[in-house]
Amino acid sequence: MFPSKKATTMNSSSHERPPSVCVQGDSGLVLTTDPKPRLRWTVELHDRFVDAVTQLGGPDKATPKTIMRVMGVKGLTLYHLKSHLQKFRLGKQPHKDPNDHNSFRNSTVDLHRNAASSSMMGRNLNENMHMMQMEVQRRLQEQLEVQKLIQMRIEAHGKYMQSILERACKALAAESMVNSGSSYKAPAMAADGQLSAPIKELSSSMSFPSLQDLHLYGSGDQLDHHNLDHSFNFSPNSSAESIILGKSKRHSPCNNVNGRSSWLGWGAALGPSSSVDQEPYSKCDQLLHMALPVIEPAGIEVNPMANVYETKPVLSLDGTLTAADDQKKYDGSSSSASKLDRPSPPPRRAPLGMEMISPMMAMTQARNLSYG
Amino acid sequence: MEVAMDEANDFSRCNFSTAAAMDDYFACAWNNWEQSVADVGPFSASADADDFHDLVESIVFADDVDYDPSTGHFSLPQSPSYNSNTSTCTPVAEEEEHNATATAGDDAKGLRLVHLLEAAAEALGGVHKCPDLARVILVRLRELLGRGGEGTSIERLAGHFTDALQGLLDGGRTSLRDGGQHNHNNKMEVLTAFQLLQDMSPYTKFGHFTANQAILEATAGDRRIHVVDFEIAEGVQWASLMQALASRPGTSSPHLRITAMIRSGGSRSAQETGRLLAAYAASLGQPFSFSQCRLEANSERFRAAGVKVVKGEALVMNCVLHPTTTAARRRTTGSVASFLSGSVDLGARVVTLVEEEVGEGEEAEQEQGRGFVGRFMAELGRYSAVWDSLEAEFPMQGQARAVVERVILGPRIAGAIGHAYRAEEEEGGQVESWGEWMTAMGFGKVSISCFNHSQAKLLLGLFKGGYKVEETATNKLVLGWKTRRLLSASVWKPPSPVLLPVIDSFEDSDFLFD
Repeated sequence: MFPSKKATTMNSSSHERPPSVCVQGDSGLVLTTDPKPRLRWTVELHDRFVDAVTQLGGPDKATPKTIMRVMGVKGLTLYHLKSHLQKFRLGKQPHKDPNDHNSFRNSTVDLHRNAASSSMMGRNLNENMHMMQMEVQRRLQEQLEVQKLIQMRIEAHGKYMQSILERACKALAAESMVNSGSSYKAPAMAADGQLSAPIKELSSSMSFPSLQDLHLYGSGDQLDHHNLDHSFNFSPNSSAESIILGKSKRHSPCNNVNGRSSWLGWGAALGPSSSVDQEPYSKCDQLLHMALPVIEPAGIEVNPMANVYETKPVLSLDGTLTAADDQKKYDGSSSSASKLDRPSPPPRRAPLGMEMISPMMAMTQARNLSYG
Repeated sequence: MEVAMDEANDFSRCNFSTAAAMDDYFACAWNNWEQSVADVGPFSASADADDFHDLVESIVFADDVDYDPSTGHFSLPQSPSYNSNTSTCTPVAEEEEHNATATAGDDAKGLRLVHLLEAAAEALGGVHKCPDLARVILVRLRELLGRGGEGTSIERLAGHFTDALQGLLDGGRTSLRDGGQHNHNNKMEVLTAFQLLQDMSPYTKFGHFTANQAILEATAGDRRIHVVDFEIAEGVQWASLMQALASRPGTSSPHLRITAMIRSGGSRSAQETGRLLAAYAASLGQPFSFSQCRLEANSERFRAAGVKVVKGEALVMNCVLHPTTTAARRRTTGSVASFLSGSVDLGARVVTLVEEEVGEGEEAEQEQGRGFVGRFMAELGRYSAVWDSLEAEFPMQGQARAVVERVILGPRIAGAIGHAYRAEEEEGGQVESWGEWMTAMGFGKVSISCFNHSQAKLLLGLFKGGYKVEETATNKLVLGWKTRRLLSASVWKPPSPVLLPVIDSFEDSDFLFD
């Protein structure tokens, strides 16, 4: 746009300025050739201006007259200086006039960069801005750090709670084995009320929402038994159950990931006592559905895990420890999951209910229990 | 006998946008009830036997309180007409969301329950104690509430308070409403319900995490950390502390030693807890050791001499007074005081305190000024906030909430009410706010770091909203639900031993002559 490529030309495109030609006069000033000759404040000129202003004690102290005298540049009029000084003063405020002369804008940017050459005020402003920026940066960093740490702490908290429950469960299971012989009835159910079993199931299925699920969490409470929110993108097959259980693999006979039928089938597999147990389990089923909103969306990790669930075997009477295989699968998949995505439940933990159901299996499960 | 309530009511401030905003409602209701209670015959200073009799009759013999939905009035068949204050509310409600009108009936019922509860509390522990009247009112309440465990949120809440009051009347026998289940909840159920509560609310985690972070910061460079825990319970707090210690970048993790203060009979469960903690520490690779220290048998006082101190270790004392799991016997004032003052003897670096926050504002002052009734209403307010918070966060999990309410919160309510009732009997009175006590004793404040505050905020951010954390003092974070402050976590520095004299007043007189 500008024919002259001399050193004194602009160092940035003047998109706002009308096209004009610069002519360098003898005094070293660059004047444009449009009808109203305008002085182009080059970097060099501006630096001299700034020096002069600094010498005079700052933009507020300096006057156009004195600046002119100090600068000693021929052809510089009071008018030029007046307007430039005004802009300079304005430019010192954090808010910059957007219609600033291009070179002026650039040079004020330079000004900020060259803290040493600017006046006291400029330096302070510069420092303050830097400090503010740094403070903001620091805060953000801290937030991120806190987020990371809190996730791990919540996870630790959850793991430990789980261990408490399991320990108590085992104790109870051992007790019931002593008491009631070979019964496979869930001991807690024998104790009091039908709700005990569902409570356990519910506890293991309800999990603390992870930090990432904040926004999705809100949509959760529209869910009920029958109505699955499509914001949870999951394959129709895996259904609500896998969503519920997406978070913690530590349950449960109520992990009816294979559909309700498997549940009942499992119930049947337990033998004669199962008919009695059917009813509470279906209640458990209900409770699990109610637990839906707490769970995180399938998007994050349920899908990879869904396979694991799919293959989770139905417990059989002979106590075959296919569950142990599951453990390995849990290990494998969870280690690939990023820890930071969400507090991934400890994969090595045996489903809570399994111990409850079968004391025999509980013993063997105990071997698999570890925190890794 | 006139029950003059109409003039006292001004519900213009009430917000009916959701039925679940009972808290706001109560805030209005209680303020207005203040004036109306003063007018109620039997409770005023100039109680007249006839008035009393009339009231009893009217409550007992009312077939049902007639409720007229159109006007929002309900009245007892016999005069006086028991005007509810919903008459002005219904039109207001209609201006709000349309379903508010449908719930105006519920609100009215809720209000009625609150009034009855307050009346019962007044009869039981107010200025003029009248157990018979209380009994009658409780009967009426039970009628209104039906079977335990059902009904709306407010009904369940009122039910627990009814049970608590009944328990006071019966002098310790278990309540009758749910067949005396309280003490027979098996451990699994309690633990499971506790986990549910933790998942559904930030109460437990808030206290634990804040305290742990303060401990971490106070012991940043130390190689050995010794925590003396007042109430080890299941040791849940220490899991996340261990995790934080084990995952500190750089140097290997410091050795953590936990000494649990136990009361008589608590040894076995503390051992169990110790084992669990040790197992968990092992899984993290965190060096750990656990020991117990007995509190004195009867007085449950803390003796600093009983704690083994190792040279070079950083000692911190942790005092979580917020009931965590079961409604264990409340700690006596003397016990807590001796523990806190023991921090001076032990040269503790910091003392972390988690306690229930007394209410705020004029409401709280009014409540406190009225002895047992005041504290009863304060607890009612507190737990209604807790109820609300659970319901608002998990509206669909009604059954889970009911379980938590029955197993955890119900016993806590009973404990709180019992505690409030025995306030006068306890030696040395009761301390409402241990934070204030510590300030008075010369404990210094350790400021809550930015990190800690952010952590709390993030923790609350995991929930939908309504919870908030405030920094009410440099060393204190308070967790609240909407306008109600519920729980506070604060960090203190023990004063130097020179400032001890005042603390001695809590010790047995024998001890002084050692």
